[in-house]
Amino acid sequence: MNKLLLKLVITAGASVLVSGLVVAQLSPTTPKATKVRIAKGPEPEITRDYLTIIRWTTNNPGGLPEHYGVVHYGTDPKNLSQTAKSPIRLNPGHDSTVFRVRMERLKAATTYYYTVESEDAKGTSDGVKSTVKQFTTDPQGAGR
Amino acid sequence: MKRTTLLATLIICAGIGGTVFLSTHPVAAQVVVPPYSPYPPGIILPNDLVSEIARVRREVSVIFNQAIGEWRALPPATLSGLPPTIQGSGYTTVQTLGKLLNFDENMSVFKNRACAFCHMPYAGFSGPIPSVNLTMVAYPGSYEFRAGKRTAQRYTYSPRYPVLQFNQPQGLFVGGNFWDGRSTGYLLQSADAEQAQHPPVDSQEHGLPDTACIAYRLTTAVYRPLFETVWGVGSLNITFPANTDQICSTPAGAAVFAGSATPIQLTPEDRTKANSVYNHWGQSISFFEDSPEVSPFTSKVDYALAGLATLSPDEIAGRNLFRGKGNCNSCHLDGQSTLLTPGQTDTGTFATNARPLFTCFGYSNLGLPLNPRDAILYQSTPDFFGFTANPFGFAYRDLGLGTFLRSGPGSAPNPNSTWTQYAPRMDGRQQVSTVRNVAMTPPQCPTTEAPGPYFQKEFFHNGYIKSLKQLVHFYNTRDKFPFNVTSGHCPAGTIEKVDCWPMPEVTNNMDMTVGNLNLTDAEENLIVTVMTALTDGYNPANPNVSTYPNINTFTGACSICNPANPNCSPSRQGNEFLIPTPPLPPCASGICGVAPLPTKPIP
Repeated sequence: MNKLLLKLVITAGASVLVSGLVVAQLSPTTPKATKVRIAKGPEPEITRDYLTIIRWTTNNPGGLPEHYGVVHYGTDPKNLSQTAKSPIRLNPGHDSTVFRVRMERLKAATTYYYTVESEDAKGTSDGVKSTVKQFTTDPQGAGR
Repeated sequence: MKRTTLLATLIICAGIGGTVFLSTHPVAAQVVVPPYSPYPPGIILPNDLVSEIARVRREVSVIFNQAIGEWRALPPATLSGLPPTIQGSGYTTVQTLGKLLNFDENMSVFKNRACAFCHMPYAGFSGPIPSVNLTMVAYPGSYEFRAGKRTAQRYTYSPRYPVLQFNQPQGLFVGGNFWDGRSTGYLLQSADAEQAQHPPVDSQEHGLPDTACIAYRLTTAVYRPLFETVWGVGSLNITFPANTDQICSTPAGAAVFAGSATPIQLTPEDRTKANSVYNHWGQSISFFEDSPEVSPFTSKVDYALAGLATLSPDEIAGRNLFRGKGNCNSCHLDGQSTLLTPGQTDTGTFATNARPLFTCFGYSNLGLPLNPRDAILYQSTPDFFGFTANPFGFAYRDLGLGTFLRSGPGSAPNPNSTWTQYAPRMDGRQQVSTVRNVAMTPPQCPTTEAPGPYFQKEFFHNGYIKSLKQLVHFYNTRDKFPFNVTSGHCPAGTIEKVDCWPMPEVTNNMDMTVGNLNLTDAEENLIVTVMTALTDGYNPANPNVSTYPNINTFTGACSICNPANPNCSPSRQGNEFLIPTPPLPPCASGICGVAPLPTKPIP
């Protein structure tokens, strides 16, 4: 009986060990930052006539390994009714995190207004939102 | 029907690149079977394909015979204990069986394709034909020239991927095998063992029409006694109907099967036995893949972790970029502690685990352009057997994990309906590969990079990238040089893959961790350097001689180019094989119109 118990304990221990090895290879969930602040940006990284990327940097928000940059935008600064989201992976070893969001096929030579925020893969906000900014897309056929 | 009457000669006559060849196979009927070649002449199939197929088959045969010798050298199996265990030699016995199965050509419809045909040791158990890696992406299957749609993934460390799961707290899929995760491992509790069950009955690969064909072919295998030693005497005692040989010699998908996945009529008891054999096939191969012969943890990085080797200054610099500016370890987990800040000293400790796998087992859409050379795009007409692999033609889009979650075409049934709802968030995502052995090449072609001598590989799921330099450059500049064109149409004054990246095939869920890393050219090279230090077979006593088993089995020719040729550089390697993408029709409704619909339309 005792041997059986011992075997069960050993088996359970081995299972935990194996699981632990696997878990150690997974992207970790890390402690959430007390407060997330935008340290740089947001600003357009590229404004082609078919591709715009908005970029900003925060302190590492922590939490779930996959986060989303979110851009609310529109041509009326009082009606930012459109939303674009792009995923990124947090790097637990990095102090800061760069969020970048793709927006495709915006109208050429048009001024857009936008704000940015970020959230984790389950939609929980990091609690930071930028003021309203603006950019103007390139004329059609310009550059690329 | 007597089996002997079912044997006949298959004559394949084909013109490939101006070469006409004849080949004979035992097949099901006295018929002349033409090859399937829906490809534009001289464009997709490489000119040396026939001779290269023959070359790899010879190499496979050498290793198969080696495994036969290893089997014969095994000590007699002694079963003892409860549960019964092959005492002393159980590991080597099962691994040897897995090796034999893996290198056995008889396990394909025309007895000409072993698993290893697409996965040879000297390529890190990935694609062994340089010209295929340069052109058609996927490897030709048993019925030539059907071919799949993605690059052959490396075996190394694939058994370490867990069963596919949806990590509820993190909102992410983790584990599984294959680029699209379709080998979940739900039944065998091993994603890798289940992976080994797909190619034998994949119409584009081994092409067997029924999983029971594996049991049938094993009944006549010379190593049948070994299979029965491991999995039980009588495990192959199945009463097969007289037409089994004919069925197993007819490619999967043939119209004659009318869509049946079990054309061999077995009693329920024999079907259960055949299923068990098929499970044991997968488990045996997986154990081989997990063995030191395939996944030995013997890279220079491993020795450095153990304090038995010292990384060079360039490798250390590359490692620091890998986990720093390059941000590679956000997905390719390296087991490192934290990034050093200025003034801190690297103490050399590896806090999270001792043997990092350089993957997170996750899925990501990196935004690769559609590769117009991908053989699957051309297989839109019926072959001799009435099968059409890709009725969508160029309207096919590879949504990866998203298509699998919808049980979509070209993937596999999703065994967990609660996951289907997540498909829109997974569209375009492909498995995050381990970096380990991405740079492995045969010793005589010691690099993947031009001018060489080098071994031409292909990278990412659709093989668009042809060198490690290009791979890192893509991560670094994808969004710095984006062009609203498809591959083959970069504007004058730009060079594709250098300062022009064509539009992604799928933009949904594109990973924006990468794309504009601001790495210098030299920093890109340093990351390539540390990637090569993850190649198994490092020998601290003699770093110039690999200890990786069977790495010397390559008998083909290395690539070499003249540096005067503008494409003779890692940055432009393979660019002479770029072809213009034809005008793309919209994504087929059979792929992109399946509920739940993508978060935004996929053009």
